[in-house]
Amino acid sequence: MRPIYRVLALLIALGVVVQAMSVALGWFMVLKDVDDGAVFDKNTDFNFGQVTHGMVGMMVIPLLAILLLIVSFFARIAGGVKWAAIVFGLVVLQIALAFGGFGVPAIGALHGLNALALLAVAGIAGRRAADAQPPVVTDTEAVAQPPAV
Amino acid sequence: MPRRRTLIGLVATLLVLAPIGWFWQQSLVPDGLSAMDMGYADYGGGPAMDAGHQHSNNLAELKPVANRAADVSVRLVARKERFEIPGRGPMEGYTLNHTSPGPQITAKQGELIEVTLVNESVPDGVTLHWHGVDVPASQDGVAGVTQDAVLPGQTFTYRFVAVDAGTYWYHSHQLSHEQVKKGLYGVLVISPGTTDVVAAVHTYDKIRTVNGGYGERRVAGTPTVRLRLINTDNGPMAAWVDGAGYRVVAVDGTAVNAPTPVEGKSVLVTAGGRVDLEITMPGTAVRIGLGGGPTTLVIGEGDAPAGPEPAERVDLLSYGKPVALPFDPAKADRRFEYRIGRRPGFFDGRPGLWWTINGRQFPDVPMFMVAEGNIIRMTVQNGSGQVHPMHLHGHHVVVLSRDGVPATGSPWWTDSLNVEDHESYEIAFLADNPGIWMDHCHNLPHAAQGLVTHLMYEGVSTPFRLNGPTHNQPE
Repeated sequence: MRPIYRVLALLIALGVVVQAMSVALGWFMVLKDVDDGAVFDKNTDFNFGQVTHGMVGMMVIPLLAILLLIVSFFARIAGGVKWAAIVFGLVVLQIALAFGGFGVPAIGALHGLNALALLAVAGIAGRRAADAQPPVVTDTEAVAQPPAV
Repeated sequence: MPRRRTLIGLVATLLVLAPIGWFWQQSLVPDGLSAMDMGYADYGGGPAMDAGHQHSNNLAELKPVANRAADVSVRLVARKERFEIPGRGPMEGYTLNHTSPGPQITAKQGELIEVTLVNESVPDGVTLHWHGVDVPASQDGVAGVTQDAVLPGQTFTYRFVAVDAGTYWYHSHQLSHEQVKKGLYGVLVISPGTTDVVAAVHTYDKIRTVNGGYGERRVAGTPTVRLRLINTDNGPMAAWVDGAGYRVVAVDGTAVNAPTPVEGKSVLVTAGGRVDLEITMPGTAVRIGLGGGPTTLVIGEGDAPAGPEPAERVDLLSYGKPVALPFDPAKADRRFEYRIGRRPGFFDGRPGLWWTINGRQFPDVPMFMVAEGNIIRMTVQNGSGQVHPMHLHGHHVVVLSRDGVPATGSPWWTDSLNVEDHESYEIAFLADNPGIWMDHCHNLPHAAQGLVTHLMYEGVSTPFRLNGPTHNQPE
């Protein structure tokens, strides 16, 4: 469970990186299209970058965050549930900020800021899983230590 | 201890997954759904009645007289193929008789039009809907409601009388959000004149065209021009005339009473809507601005002035002079609300931000139940954050008020009404065309996302189903 926790946390961090790249790609594609005489309005479908951003943000990362939370219940990592819950909460907040941004674009700026927070927290969760001693070892020490003293 | 930990973990897992799974499951749209069984009946404060299961008339029987020869016969062959956009280049999409837009259909008022639709190679099937024409229900061309989609190799014949003169268009109503965008549409004009100039605007994959061509398109003019503007796109379009004034002589196929001259203003053409302008030509060329961007229509020879979109807009609520309505909206038999909202959640299993009608999500939406002869009032209110071009099939509605301000101009008859965010329109119509009629947003991706309901007549049933083995997907 511990390596799975770690991989999931790192995949979420990687997802945030993909999101930053895809949203930038999407809007640069729009700039080029408009420059080439295309229109960007209600008739325009999302381009590759925007579709990727939507899919990863609405499906992939939320799914990873749910899996991380579930895995944390069984992984027995000190603070593991706490950090998985924070990741999950920031993902929910991130989606809420995206939806809010459609009506009030200024909220979209917070969406960009929260992405960095999510990246950091997912990184911390991954580090926790890597640093913490496996619980089996801790148990052995607890049993082994008294005779040594 | 480890067993107890596992147990707590399992309970916690269940607590996380159960609500998500429940909302997901609730959002699934059942296969083979009938418009008759969809949502819940809304009687608008009028008497309840049979929804159309027992002793009901099959919608497929609601057609014009059979023993009459067609005055206008057209054969349209739908294909999936590459076609050329003049001024731009090739485009992958759909054609009718090898062109997009399809051939313009014209008929005189009162003539019987017969269109044979042949699907040669559109894999998902096609239909044709006569946008703005109040046809008998069986001829409305909505896959899964009034017919089955015409699959490759199949043929369907539409017959209807051109009752009202005016500017209309036709388009596929099977997977319409994809098929219309990629080319399955055309122009229909009933009783055209000798001074007509058609400007059918369509955006193919980011390329805005007029009459199928990109960039500055040119047509010859007459001393007076009747410009028939048609917006076949998903969003509202401002149009204006650089170099001349104009009068707005018709909206959505209905003449405007006592139109006054307009100078330096734009006119809004709703998505799916039509506006006819009468332009007295100044002797030099004029340019028709079509929403901005590189595509415009120049009428006449030589250079035409080019200006930005005028800041002011013709307000149809107060344009022209009033005239008596054919019915009294004050004596409404039923009053409906069509409140458009938006909320996060699942739709057919997909997470996102989805449209609601009266707070409910498709297919759990109100079905507006009416009886033939009823006078209907409806409030269309938009609090969804985006504009919606609302289109009721088979009827023309008259605008009574907007945001509480009563209409004071010519009766504003429409079939495609632009309802901006935070706007509220009160409309009225006479239920005089029995059938099951879609009442939906004509931003076609919005319809595909569930912004669809129906107007249902007492005692009318349909044998057709959505999805299922027939693959009917009207939106």
